[in-house]
Amino acid sequence: MPDDPVRLKHRQLERIAMAALRMARLLTECGAPVRVAHQGASLVTRGLGVEPVGLRTGYASQEITVSSGHNTITRMMSVGPHGVNHRLDHALRALAVRVSQGGMTVDFVEVEIDRVVHGTPRHPAWVVALAVGLACAAFGRLLGIDWAAFGPVFLAGVAGQGARRRMLRRGVNAYVTAAVIAFVAAAIAGFGAKLAGSNTLNLAMMAAILLLVPGVPATNAQTDIMEGYPVMGSARAVSVIMVMVFATTGVWLAEALLGVH
Amino acid sequence: MDWLHLLHQAAFGAIAAAGFGVLFNFGLRSLTWCAGAGALALGVRTLGQDAAWSLEAASFVAALATSCAMRPLIGFLGSRAHGVALAGCIPMVPGAFLGQAILGMLAVTTPHPENATVILTALEYLLRVFFTLAAIGAGLAIPAQLLRNPDF
Repeated sequence: MPDDPVRLKHRQLERIAMAALRMARLLTECGAPVRVAHQGASLVTRGLGVEPVGLRTGYASQEITVSSGHNTITRMMSVGPHGVNHRLDHALRALAVRVSQGGMTVDFVEVEIDRVVHGTPRHPAWVVALAVGLACAAFGRLLGIDWAAFGPVFLAGVAGQGARRRMLRRGVNAYVTAAVIAFVAAAIAGFGAKLAGSNTLNLAMMAAILLLVPGVPATNAQTDIMEGYPVMGSARAVSVIMVMVFATTGVWLAEALLGVH
Repeated sequence: MDWLHLLHQAAFGAIAAAGFGVLFNFGLRSLTWCAGAGALALGVRTLGQDAAWSLEAASFVAALATSCAMRPLIGFLGSRAHGVALAGCIPMVPGAFLGQAILGMLAVTTPHPENATVILTALEYLLRVFFTLAAIGAGLAIPAQLLRNPDF
């Protein structure tokens, strides 16, 4: 029955639900709090002429129920690795606002989401590595490392970020990556600081792994809990603890290797 | 007051915030604001600590000040204002304390921990991490909630 109006309506609703879920998923993967992901999905559904009945965001999947008249449909989508991408996050928010103003078709919205995802620029990998190295060294100065340790911490940060990018691109588990990067960065910083005659070896090794500290997920965890999403908030908090446990294991191994206590 | 120390903390807070801003893929113009937010956050926290406040109290006031300082810039930064304030506060995240706390816990798990001081120090670090993170999160969230900063 190709012209069954109920089935046609359901197919249309399904496409709208999936477009809204894609918006919510991308926002979540860019590091947005749950409230923002839900608002983004709601703006898309309303702009396409249907009402969102309910949204649920978990750490690994999201669900949406949309309705139009007597027709209601529920769909679910997996969420990929959680990261932080500020420019993509805000380009998606701007797109959601544009969709909410009406006049777009689902096809056009899907094309626009693709365009935003592929067209949003990223800093070159070498720039990110240098910036992260500098951030670690600056963080180290805030912690109290001496100037002799500044260079080694910078180099350790650059090497750590470069290696992290490669490992994540190869699909290595994020927690295992944290342990390996912590070991590499702490060992380079510790060995370098020792050679440079630093008196703050321990702090230098800690400063070198600060690129791994998940600051945005840590504050998002609190925001989510405050705003009525304790499940997602708790999941984020547990992931923060896991990253730090694995990172500390790497530092512990590096300290054992260099004989630092 | 040690102005040189204040300047040092603000400058390295700015560098750290901008560096993490690059990692978080902020645009070039936003990176300048991240650096400003980082300098403000670390400057306020240093002033607080110089006035003998605890790290937790100083971090809370610093995050509050950074979040409030973004309010007049909403017309210019729009919904990016909260992200900029957050990036500015990242250098205050006590990651090294958390590392020390977990290393301390590892020491506690050895068959014969040296003494109770090891346990107390590890617990102290852990509690300080928890309360400092909570202070930063609350300091950032309270003005955003009360002043209803735009998300879109």
